Amino acid sequence: MLPKGAQRDRVLKVVHDTSQEEVERVSRETGVPAADVYGAASFYTLISQPDAGARVCQGLSCRMAGSQELFADYLERGEPAIYASCIGQCDRAPAVLSPKMAVVSQRSAGAVSAANPELPMNLGGSDSLDYSALARSRELGGEGVLAALDASGLQGRGGAGFPAGRKWRAVLGETETERYVICNADEAEPGTFKDREVMLRRPHLLLEGLAICAETIGAKEVYLYIRGEFQEPIARLKAALAEVADGPLAGLNYHFVEGHGAYICGEETALLEAMEGRRGMPRIKPPYPTQEGFRGKPTVINNVETLACVPPIVLRGGEWFKGLGRTEAGTKLYCISGHVETPGVYELPLGVSLDELVAVAGGYVGEPVAFSPGGASSGFLPISERERALDFASLSEVGSMLGSAGVVVLNETFDLAEAACSQAIFFEDESCGQCAPCRIGTRLVHQALKGYLETRDPNALEHIEDLAWEMEEGSICGLGMVAALPLTSAIKHFPAAFSGGGQA
Amino acid sequence: MSAPLPDESFTLTINGQQTQARQGERVLGVAGRLGIEIPTLCEDSRLDPVGCCRMCLVEVGGQRRLQPACTWRAEAGQDVTTESPRIERHRKLLLEMYLADAPPVTDPHPLTPLNEISRLAEAHGALDRFPAACSEREGREDANPYIGFDPELCISCARCVRYCDEVEAVSAITLAGRGAGTTIATAGQIGLLDSTCELCGGCIDTCPTGAMHEKKPLAHTRTDSEVSTVRTTCNFCGVGCQLDIKVQDGRVVQIDSPPAGETLNDGNLCVKGRFAYDFIHHEDRLKTPLVRGADGNLREASWEEALKRAAEGLLGVKERHGADALGFVSSSRCTGEENYLVQKLARAAFGTNNCHSCAAT
Repeated sequence: MLPKGAQRDRVLKVVHDTSQEEVERVSRETGVPAADVYGAASFYTLISQPDAGARVCQGLSCRMAGSQELFADYLERGEPAIYASCIGQCDRAPAVLSPKMAVVSQRSAGAVSAANPELPMNLGGSDSLDYSALARSRELGGEGVLAALDASGLQGRGGAGFPAGRKWRAVLGETETERYVICNADEAEPGTFKDREVMLRRPHLLLEGLAICAETIGAKEVYLYIRGEFQEPIARLKAALAEVADGPLAGLNYHFVEGHGAYICGEETALLEAMEGRRGMPRIKPPYPTQEGFRGKPTVINNVETLACVPPIVLRGGEWFKGLGRTEAGTKLYCISGHVETPGVYELPLGVSLDELVAVAGGYVGEPVAFSPGGASSGFLPISERERALDFASLSEVGSMLGSAGVVVLNETFDLAEAACSQAIFFEDESCGQCAPCRIGTRLVHQALKGYLETRDPNALEHIEDLAWEMEEGSICGLGMVAALPLTSAIKHFPAAFSGGGQA
Repeated sequence: MSAPLPDESFTLTINGQQTQARQGERVLGVAGRLGIEIPTLCEDSRLDPVGCCRMCLVEVGGQRRLQPACTWRAEAGQDVTTESPRIERHRKLLLEMYLADAPPVTDPHPLTPLNEISRLAEAHGALDRFPAACSEREGREDANPYIGFDPELCISCARCVRYCDEVEAVSAITLAGRGAGTTIATAGQIGLLDSTCELCGGCIDTCPTGAMHEKKPLAHTRTDSEVSTVRTTCNFCGVGCQLDIKVQDGRVVQIDSPPAGETLNDGNLCVKGRFAYDFIHHEDRLKTPLVRGADGNLREASWEEALKRAAEGLLGVKERHGADALGFVSSSRCTGEENYLVQKLARAAFGTNNCHSCAAT
């Protein structure tokens, strides 16, 4: 029997487009007002533009690799195509998503660190089905697991670097006993594709980390929110789950929720809104998800990599994990793309420098000028920072951040103003539109950069400082707060690129 | 220690003043009691606070970021600041961004509600100095005669959408699209007449910028003579909603609700109360009783003559067919006392229980 009342959290699962017939159908099927169905559906690009043809990635790495020419080719051939925000294939730039969500690229993807059993993630190694960490966690008990997590110093790998154990403890401290665990696999920060590789190569590590989390905080329902552009990882995870659902994971219910094309849903409260069938607009915090999360219940939301770190920590101890880091705890999956020889995901001690990372990735291509250390949100740094530790603290000292560790290197052939514009387009396209500083600010920043690139008149950028200040102060969530940073950091470190003299 | 009971009050500090608040109260309301004005745009006392317009951000002790006063819960010992150079810079820049996005009409119609953006911009010295943010917000063709929507003036505060959902439980409109293209839409951009809309016009009432507006008066009112306001009681039904009637040159040109919180209807009206006023000055409106002559044509008559004629007719039916051949239906526009008299007339004067009021359905 169907549950009574509106089934809002089914809306985005069953709606295919924003046509009136479809909206009415979904409204009847779910009991949700038609206007609400339309409002939610129109928010997500995969639903609002269902038959748009090829989706040509316009993320920074793809742009640097010629996505604009690629886009023009499509139009010339008369094949329908639209630009898409970063599709998480920066290691095979320029990349395209086919109408059936398959990745199209001339280049092969998936360079990772060579197999080494001493690495916690060990992407090059083989995935294990023995779930010994889950068994070990049961011996340790909840407090034992949390103690190991605390000792490991594991910082959330999604971007904010929030100590992982603290969210788990917060949920444990709630009186409400209906609790949820959600894996945030909405990896969409331009330059970032590490979670993709974890899901493809070590799905059991992730499923096991989720199980340990669920048992530790007393949850039965486990959700994986995975961006809809990641069809291959979704299939891989589902296959892995089928292998063990009746074995070590019996008693837990795993649910897959596909994203529908909205970067903002990587923000954890926007993700909750999407899971509940609404527009992905971030909630005002507090309350935090650990207090009132999915369906208003205490919820742990962790990133893929964070959860995948848990089994090795439980098995080999927090101190062991911590000792693997250089300046901060543990190893880290660094994504590197742009002007380097072998883009890929490399697991290295947290705190290596750009030079060390690039050495692992086969070296620089051309003369490096700038790099973006942690996705679009981290802005740009000059190559003179090549020896700075790529960790949470050191990068924040210079007004940047490690974020998701999506490192993009730019050489002398790419205009910094173009690079900043690429990021500005991304943030304008992906702003949810809820608050004015971000909704209007991202548009004004993009317009200013567009104006500058057309005229090379520095006056086009005269209001940027004020706009950036207000976006940082006034926005609801992190997207708006950092959306002007690519431009302000580029102006700060590369003033020549914005002084009207053409290419820097 | 157990959590304080809801009615237990505590002390916090706002702008250096100590004040009392109760558990669950928001900073905006507590500050309001002290007479401290915090500018708002997306706030409406009838709706749950959402903190999306960012106008009411204040400094809260211990918080690195500015926080919205409308959603932030007052807590014991909290130290809140609502005036500082940082807050003032924020308000001014935010308003300047709003001005870039939704420039107010420079020559507003006398019946256009005050654009809050213009009022606040003037109060905070915000200038129209940023380049226009080239709106691409979608509007829609809509044949309904009452409610218009101008996407250019919309600031996406969603007061109309939330009003439609939270107060009316109608959900005819929604926020649609994303980012700079965010707009107010119906399901599939159909006209309001084809939607679940009940045309109550509450969206117009709550809109802070005039993006949601009433179509009729803007088309029919002259711009060169003054409009006065008369507070009265709606007589469409017995609820007693208060109306603010706009009068120009002795003619009703618009009906508005008094502000939320001021009268019993809390700023709300229905489609009849807000929009059904054309009859007042209509040429077909009955102004005197009419009776039909022997020639079959209606002619003006006195009340005495008309009532006598009605009584004769009703008694005639009773005589020929019995009292139960009669039925008395009173109007929902009648008061309770009038409805009582109608049934008394039916039962006592004519002897039938056939009486009903359309307000009963």
